[in-house]
Amino acid sequence: MTVNPKVNPKKLRPYDTPPKRRRSLIPGAPDSAATGFMAAAGLWFALAAGLGVLAIALRIGEFKINFPLGLFELAFQLDERRVSAAFVNATVYGWLTNAGFAAIAFMAPRLTGRRLVGEPGMNIGLAIWNLSLLGGLAALYVFDLGPNQPLTAMPWLMTGGLAFAALIVTGSILATIGPALRTAYVSLWFAGIALLGLVGILGLIATVGLVDWFFHFDELPLALFSAFVERAIPTLWLLGMAYATLHYVVPRAAGQPLASGGLAILTLLAWLAFAPLAPLATLTDPSIPFFIVTLGSVATMLLLLPAALTAANLTGTMRGRWSVLLGPGPAAAAFVAIAFLLASSLLAGIRSLTDVAAFVGGTEWDNGFFIWTMYGAFTLAALALAQHAFARTLKRAWSPTLLSAAAMWLVFIGATVAGVALMGGGIAEGAFRAQGAAPADIDAGILGYRAVGFAAFGLVAVGALAHLADMFLLYTSARPVEYAVAGAPAVAASH
Amino acid sequence: MSVKTPIETRTMRLPAWAVGLTVFALLVGGVYFATNLAGDSPPFAIPGASGPAPGPSGGADPAVGEALIAQAAPPCTSCHGPDLAGQADFPSLHGVAEGPKSENLQDLAAANPDTWIHLWIDGTTPDTADLDRGGMPMFGEQFTPEQIDSIVAYLETLP
Repeated sequence: MTVNPKVNPKKLRPYDTPPKRRRSLIPGAPDSAATGFMAAAGLWFALAAGLGVLAIALRIGEFKINFPLGLFELAFQLDERRVSAAFVNATVYGWLTNAGFAAIAFMAPRLTGRRLVGEPGMNIGLAIWNLSLLGGLAALYVFDLGPNQPLTAMPWLMTGGLAFAALIVTGSILATIGPALRTAYVSLWFAGIALLGLVGILGLIATVGLVDWFFHFDELPLALFSAFVERAIPTLWLLGMAYATLHYVVPRAAGQPLASGGLAILTLLAWLAFAPLAPLATLTDPSIPFFIVTLGSVATMLLLLPAALTAANLTGTMRGRWSVLLGPGPAAAAFVAIAFLLASSLLAGIRSLTDVAAFVGGTEWDNGFFIWTMYGAFTLAALALAQHAFARTLKRAWSPTLLSAAAMWLVFIGATVAGVALMGGGIAEGAFRAQGAAPADIDAGILGYRAVGFAAFGLVAVGALAHLADMFLLYTSARPVEYAVAGAPAVAASH
Repeated sequence: MSVKTPIETRTMRLPAWAVGLTVFALLVGGVYFATNLAGDSPPFAIPGASGPAPGPSGGADPAVGEALIAQAAPPCTSCHGPDLAGQADFPSLHGVAEGPKSENLQDLAAANPDTWIHLWIDGTTPDTADLDRGGMPMFGEQFTPEQIDSIVAYLETLP
């Protein structure tokens, strides 16, 4: 440091010193939105898994806690239905949707070569989304859930907040990818369409909730709408984001080009054709023409096609690089996700058959299937992207650690066993129900299945904590590095 | 971050097996759809309700209902008397087909003239959530809707 001998530092006054650099209240640095969404997703992952463990525990030994709040005749109620609703919302809107937003905020600049448009807006969206969700979850414990399924059970004001936040994110993403869309990589098509689907569905939920607030719909149409949405969000939004993520992560993890662009486009078209129709299968009521339900069942079965095409394409992409799958890295997580995706698509197809639906509908089967889809397929796809992306957004050197291995294996084993146990319990429950057994006898008969599901899902919760700790240690302890962003083909697959 | 970094694809060609698989899947789906255009859907199970909407007890078996009354925990006779004719504060169950005797149930019966007995015995549906049950258990937690229909059918036989 050189000192000007003509200046006496003791005589410097405040206005002689250079002004301090002001930091913006709303972060707008590149990758700040992706980092924020990924961090929020990690927190929700741990919370959601904890709620899942509690929900299964409440089905084993039911109890209700009722705290009168004294205001407006509200009461805080901790019962199985409310905890399950919170679990589903924390999983879908908290963990997986934050992870989905993070994925697209990470992928869009890298696939288009443009900076994310409106990064500060994305961060505002991040805040609105998560605050609305927190408010919505609190409301689940206070207000009557009515005839709603979990994903439509939050008050319309909170769902409106979610829709507004999703609109901000969608606007930012579409403005970024729009100019490059014609030649865009297939992941951007998947993600862009999935985002539009999410915004549309959330807007619809908020609008229906608002109208119902004033005019009170009958229970049946509201329940049917709710059931449709409960299936539409996974098939349109989460499934689309899983395909986007997997088509992005696997070529990069393998360091090889995608095996077939034509196959990827066929996958996109197949998903786009069947995903909007599949939720029709939930509308099983005499008031709905039967062919509409059948159309939904066929679309649900045909969703196996894009899953199979993805598996083939990404397996071809890994050709000659199978050793990458042996470690606990993004590639291994992605391939476990693909296996779950295939299996859960097959199970969804079987479940949509009329006789099977009558046998296991409304039983523990649905809870086991939820765990397989959300914590098997979608979670492992999100973990694959998180392992690939978080180090890059934080500019840290990533290498497999005990915690990253623990996160992947615990989630994999826990989701597999819990899903199988609860689906097995659902089959037993269906059999008891067919014999006309009393509810108390059914509960006693499937207690063992639930106990196994409870223990196994506990592993998922531990895996979520391991993922959170892994992210924290990566941020605090890993060596800072710069990742190359040059566009030469030789490095194209390394981002 | 201003340089485009595309993912390369090995080829844009579509493998013939993928086209074949897609056509096969569409054919199978089409056949399934064409052969399942008509059928009967069960009533939609509305969340929060205890099961399918209870109907009048026309198809239920009074003999089964009589047996279930003895199996209930606690048995109906323990409060309503050995012959269900009422005892202490507990009303008689004779003549329930003509309407409820308790003031507490008049609104429920007015709103659900065909199903009020079923709803009251069940006790787990939102229709009865605000009613003072006065010690009456929620038998919907013990019995299926069909079993409650049989209990109602038996009660309606009492003069």
